[in-house]
Amino acid sequence: MASKTLLVAQREYLDNVRTKTFWLGILAFPAIFALAIGIGWVMNKTKATQAYTVLDLTAARLGDRIEQNARANDLIASLRRMLREDAAALAALPDLDAVDATDPESMQTLLRDAPKDAAAKLDPAAAQKLLASIETIGQKYRFVPLDELAAATGTRAEREKLLNQRINDGRLFAYFVLDGDPVVDSSQLTYVSNNLTDDALRDWYEGAATRVIRKLRVADANIEPAVARHIQQWVGFKAEQVTATGEREDVKKEQKANKFAPVVFVYLLWIAVFTAAQMLLTNTVEEKSNRIIEVLLSSVSPGQLMAGKIWGIGATGLTLILSWALCGLLGVSLGTKVVPQLAEWNLQDIVGDPLYLASFVGYFLTGYLLFAAILVAIGSVCNSLKEAQNLVQPVFILLMIPIFAMVPIVQEPNGLMARVFTYIPLYTPFAMMNRASGPPPAWEYAVTTVLILFSVWFAFRAAGKVFRVGVLMTGNPPKLREILSWLRQE
Amino acid sequence: MEYALQLDHVSKHFGTFTAVDDLTLRVPKGCIYGFLGQNGAGKTTTIRMVMSIFHPDQGTLSVLGHPDAQQVKDRLGYLPEEKGLYKKMKTAEIVAYFGKLKGMDASTANLRARELLTRYGLGDWLDKKCEALSRGMGQKVQVLGTIIHEPELVILDEPFSGLDPVNRDTMRDIILDMKRQGRTVIFSTHGMEQAEQLCDYVMMIHKAKLQFAGTLASVKQGKDLGIRLDYDGDGRVLKDLPGAERVNDNGKNAEIFLRRGQDPQQALRWLVERVTVRRFDYREPSLHEIFVRTVQEADARLAGAAGGAR
Repeated sequence: MASKTLLVAQREYLDNVRTKTFWLGILAFPAIFALAIGIGWVMNKTKATQAYTVLDLTAARLGDRIEQNARANDLIASLRRMLREDAAALAALPDLDAVDATDPESMQTLLRDAPKDAAAKLDPAAAQKLLASIETIGQKYRFVPLDELAAATGTRAEREKLLNQRINDGRLFAYFVLDGDPVVDSSQLTYVSNNLTDDALRDWYEGAATRVIRKLRVADANIEPAVARHIQQWVGFKAEQVTATGEREDVKKEQKANKFAPVVFVYLLWIAVFTAAQMLLTNTVEEKSNRIIEVLLSSVSPGQLMAGKIWGIGATGLTLILSWALCGLLGVSLGTKVVPQLAEWNLQDIVGDPLYLASFVGYFLTGYLLFAAILVAIGSVCNSLKEAQNLVQPVFILLMIPIFAMVPIVQEPNGLMARVFTYIPLYTPFAMMNRASGPPPAWEYAVTTVLILFSVWFAFRAAGKVFRVGVLMTGNPPKLREILSWLRQE
Repeated sequence: MEYALQLDHVSKHFGTFTAVDDLTLRVPKGCIYGFLGQNGAGKTTTIRMVMSIFHPDQGTLSVLGHPDAQQVKDRLGYLPEEKGLYKKMKTAEIVAYFGKLKGMDASTANLRARELLTRYGLGDWLDKKCEALSRGMGQKVQVLGTIIHEPELVILDEPFSGLDPVNRDTMRDIILDMKRQGRTVIFSTHGMEQAEQLCDYVMMIHKAKLQFAGTLASVKQGKDLGIRLDYDGDGRVLKDLPGAERVNDNGKNAEIFLRRGQDPQQALRWLVERVTVRRFDYREPSLHEIFVRTVQEADARLAGAAGGAR
C-alpha cells in the first residue's frame, strides 16, 4: 500500500525536478538576491562626485576652516575604521577635537601627517593599502574654488546669479552661502541645490560647520577647551552580554549578525513553504481539470494519492531549500574572498550553524505539511485555477502574518508576542525558526514539536476527508457548510 | 456459470435524483459486454459503483467475487469517460506508470509499455511527451495504460468516442485481443454499430432503469423482423409503402417494419417499381432500431404512468 504512495510521490517529484524552469527558479532566487546586493554596492561606488562651492561672505573667512575640518574629520574617521584591529596605531591617532579647527595651519599638518603616522605603525603592505585608500576619501564631495567658476569677484548678486547658472547647467551639485557672523547668529547660512532628496552633502557640511563654530563659541565664552569637550561628550553605554557560565563579555559584531540571522531564515522558510504549497495547489487543480484523477483513483486510494502528492512536492521543496543552502554556503565562502570586510560578520558560522540548519529543514517540512494539507483540500474541490485562487486568498493572507511578525519576534525572541505566535499551530514553525537566536528553552522545543506533529496529523485527517469527496466533484465548488459536513463524516 | 461482475438490486441516488434504480445484472467471465443507454441514463454511475468510486445506496455487488473493487484493484482495468494524461510525461513513461500503480515491478512495466505501444502503432512516439499526441493517439495511450497489467476485468467508458475509423479499428482490435486472452471486457457506448459487432452481451439502461440485458441474439429474439434495404432513388416514396408501420430512412439505406400479417414479398415488388433496390434483407431488427424503440416505449410508459397518477 505504502509503495503506491511512494510511486505517486516519485512521479510528482520527478515531474517537477526534471523541468528546466524549476532549476532556473532555484537559481534565480539567489541570483536576484546577489544582484540586489551587487547593484546597491555598485551604485554606492559609482555615485557621481558631488561638486560644490562655498560663497564665503564672513569676515573671519570661516569657509576655509569648515572645509579643513570636514576633510580632517573624514580622514580621522576612515583612519579609525581602517586601524580598528591595531590598538597601538589607533591610540596614536590625533584627536580631532584636540586639533585647533580654527587654525588652518594645524589642520593642514594633521591632513598631511596623520596618514603617515598611522601608516608607520603598520606593516608595509597594509600601509600601502591605507595610503591608497586615503587618496580616494576626498572624491565623494569635490570642492570647486570660486575662481574656477569665475565667481571670485563681483557683487554678491552677480556671483549668486552665476552660481545659480552653474547649478542649472549641472556643473555644481550645490553651493553654500556663509553670511553675517555665524559664531553669533547662524541664521544667514544657506544651502542652494536643485536636488531635494539627497541631503548627504548638506549634512556632512553642517557637521563640519557645527564643529568649527562650536569651538569658536567656546573660545569666545572663555571656557577651557578641555571643559567644553567634557561637557559635549556623547554619553554612551558599552554593550555586553552574559555567557552561559554567568560571565560578562563584550558583544561582538558576528553575534549581532547571529541574532538577526533568523529573520533571513524565516524569510527563506516562508518563500519555500509558499512556493511548495502553491505548486501543490496548481498541481492538484490541474490533475482534476485534466480528468486524470479518476484513472488514478482506480489504482490508488484517495488517501494514497493525497499523501503521495504532498510528499512528492515536499521533496521538491526540500530540494529547493537544500539548493539554496548550498548556494548560501558557496556565496558566503566566495563572498568572503572577494569582499574581505564580510569575514568579520562570520557568516559561515551562521549559515553552517547546526541549530539554524536543523530548524530550517525541520520547520520547512512541518510548516509545509500544514499548509499543504489545507491547500490540497482546497485544490481538490476546485475545477479551475481561477476558482482555486479565490478560495486560497484567505489562506495566503494568514500565511503573510509571520512575515510582519518577523522583526518584532527577533528583537524579543522569548517575549510575549513570540510565545503567542509559537502556540498558534499555523505559525509555530515560523515563530520557532524566528526565535532560534534566543534560543527558546528545551521544553518549548519539546512542547511545540508535539503540538506541530499533532496539528499536522489533524490537518492530514481533515484534508483527507475533504479530498476524498472533493476530488471527484465537478461543477460549482462546495459551500463551506458542505465541507464541514464532510469533515464530520467518519 | 462464473460471473466477473454481479449486481443485485443496486440503486444510487444523488439527493432527490435517482441515477440507478434497482439494477440487477450478471456479466459472465470471458465475454465482451456492452452497456448501452443515452447520455445521463446511468451507465457511468453504474461503472463508478463497480469501481468503488461511489458506493451504492441499496443492493449488493460482487466484482471478481469480492464485494468491493478496492480489494481486487490490481486485477481491474478502468478507463473513465473523462480521460486525461500528464502532459509532460512521455507516452512510454505514463503507460508504465499506470502499470506500476497496479503493482507491476518497474522493469516489467517499462518493457511491456514499450511493447504495447509499438504493437498498437505508437512505436515512433515512445519518447514523445503526451502533450504532442493527437486525441486519438492519446486515447490509445490511455487504453494501453488501462490494460498493461493484464487485468481480468476491463471496464472502458466510451472507448470509441471521438475516434477516427482507423483508430476505431485499433480500439476494436485491442478489445478483441483481450477477449481472446480470456479477459472480460465491459464497455459503454453510444455507437450501436460497435456494440453489434463486438458484444456477446448487451444491456440497456434508460432513465436509471434496466430495459433489457442478455446475449445479442436473445435481445433481438421475439422482436419484429424488419426489411433492410439498400437503394438508389427518391426515398420519400418509402413511407407510402402499403402495410409499413415504421420507416427509418437513411438516404441510401432504410429499415422498414411492416404491420403484422403483411407480406415482405409484396413489399419487395412494390419497392422495385419505385426505387433501384441493391439489397433486400428480411431479418431481425438492428440494435439501433431496438435502442430507439426501447427509448420511445419506455418514455411512453413513463408518460402513461405519470398521466395515470394525475
